[in-house]
Amino acid sequence: MFEADILLEDIREILSAVPFTLFMALVTFVFSTIIGSLFALAEYRNIPILREFIFAYKVAFKGIPLVIVIFLGYYGLPPTIQFLASLIGINFNGHHTPNWVLLVIGVTACIAAFQAEVIKGALNSFDNGQADAARSLGYTNGQLFRRVMFPQVVIAAIPDLTNSIMVIMKALSLGFAIEVVDIFAQSQLTAALNFYYLEAFVIAVVIYMIIAFLVTTAADRLERSLRVWT
Amino acid sequence: MDLKTMIPELMTALPLTLAITFVAMVAGFCLALITTTLRVVHIPVLSSLAALYVSYARSVPVVLQLFVTFYGLPLLVAIFGMADFFTPNVAAMLGLSFYHGGYLSEVMRPAYLAVDRGQHDAADSLGYTFRQKMMGVVGPQAVHIALPGYGNALIYLAHNVALVMYIGAADVMATAHLIMQRAYNQYQFETYLVLAVIYSIMCLIIWVIVRYFERRSPMYVPAVGPAKRVAMPSL
Repeated sequence: MFEADILLEDIREILSAVPFTLFMALVTFVFSTIIGSLFALAEYRNIPILREFIFAYKVAFKGIPLVIVIFLGYYGLPPTIQFLASLIGINFNGHHTPNWVLLVIGVTACIAAFQAEVIKGALNSFDNGQADAARSLGYTNGQLFRRVMFPQVVIAAIPDLTNSIMVIMKALSLGFAIEVVDIFAQSQLTAALNFYYLEAFVIAVVIYMIIAFLVTTAADRLERSLRVWT
Repeated sequence: MDLKTMIPELMTALPLTLAITFVAMVAGFCLALITTTLRVVHIPVLSSLAALYVSYARSVPVVLQLFVTFYGLPLLVAIFGMADFFTPNVAAMLGLSFYHGGYLSEVMRPAYLAVDRGQHDAADSLGYTFRQKMMGVVGPQAVHIALPGYGNALIYLAHNVALVMYIGAADVMATAHLIMQRAYNQYQFETYLVLAVIYSIMCLIIWVIVRYFERRSPMYVPAVGPAKRVAMPSL
């Protein structure tokens, strides 16, 4: 158990999956944050019909386990894409969509429901007295948002956004169910090839913990450095 | 696809799913209590071990935790000659307990820390013992603050039970896969929709129960609103 040469070989193979996992996590993070922010803004402004739609969306995506969302996306999206493409007159075979795109769409749909909550929490932490002060100084709405609200809201959201990056990294590990190779799937493949299961999984555990540590430390630094000038 | 035969067949696997959830719930709660105590009361080596355990449970995907439990613990218990004890179901229960314990301790610790410092001091100055202080003064307030987070933790636990299929436990997901294979994989999307409905109902029931306690808990606490914390899932 735990022989050095096997560990080294496993580490090299599993590390090779890290860049792609990080790339997928970044794409998911960007899109889910954009969608979540739109949701949160719609709720903040209290837009009638959108508000109910967003509530239903959140209930649905928080109640269903992510594996099932991923599988639903995997079996449901390709026909949908094909159908939508045929509506605008493009002959596109939806079943040629790469699996990782389907995974990213599924995870984004699920995480967006939680990101909306994060952004809403950050918006709620904003002191409305400052908005009144800015208005009395003659700021326009755009200026108010850009100069007063945005810088504070972003800083308030940093800890939760860091958390959600880690959640996305972990959520992508379910991609092995639809044959997307990320850190976890790569450790499974490596283990299946040389039959040293525990070793490969322990290496994956260590890699995930190191990434979590690095991400949290970087976010803490960023938050501290931004807080100085507000 | 025939719902009339499919749903009863899925229901046969429900007891196991609920059993895994229940064991993980109870064992995870005990683990979380121990871990939180170790982290709040500073004991040199033990509290850093507890911190390491919490960061393991929170930063590693649950599937990976399940696999580590499934492959790792048999080696551990083989020392005591009980390796046969390790069926996938037991591994699933243990793996999810570890996960839930670590996640829950990050709900309990902030709740404990959120209780006003003055309350501790007041209880101490009245000569309460640690146990009296916990049961009578700090505990009820911490429970009130922790309840929303606890409800979320339970819902994520129920979600993650859907993953035990991958280490070979015969839960609802695994039964659904059997049904799909029997139908030559024609109705996968529909079967997953049915699963989604089943899990949504499970989460709804958990939410209603927790909501009931949330409504009741403020009666022990004078005018302390629950700490608004953003809930992020753990997968």
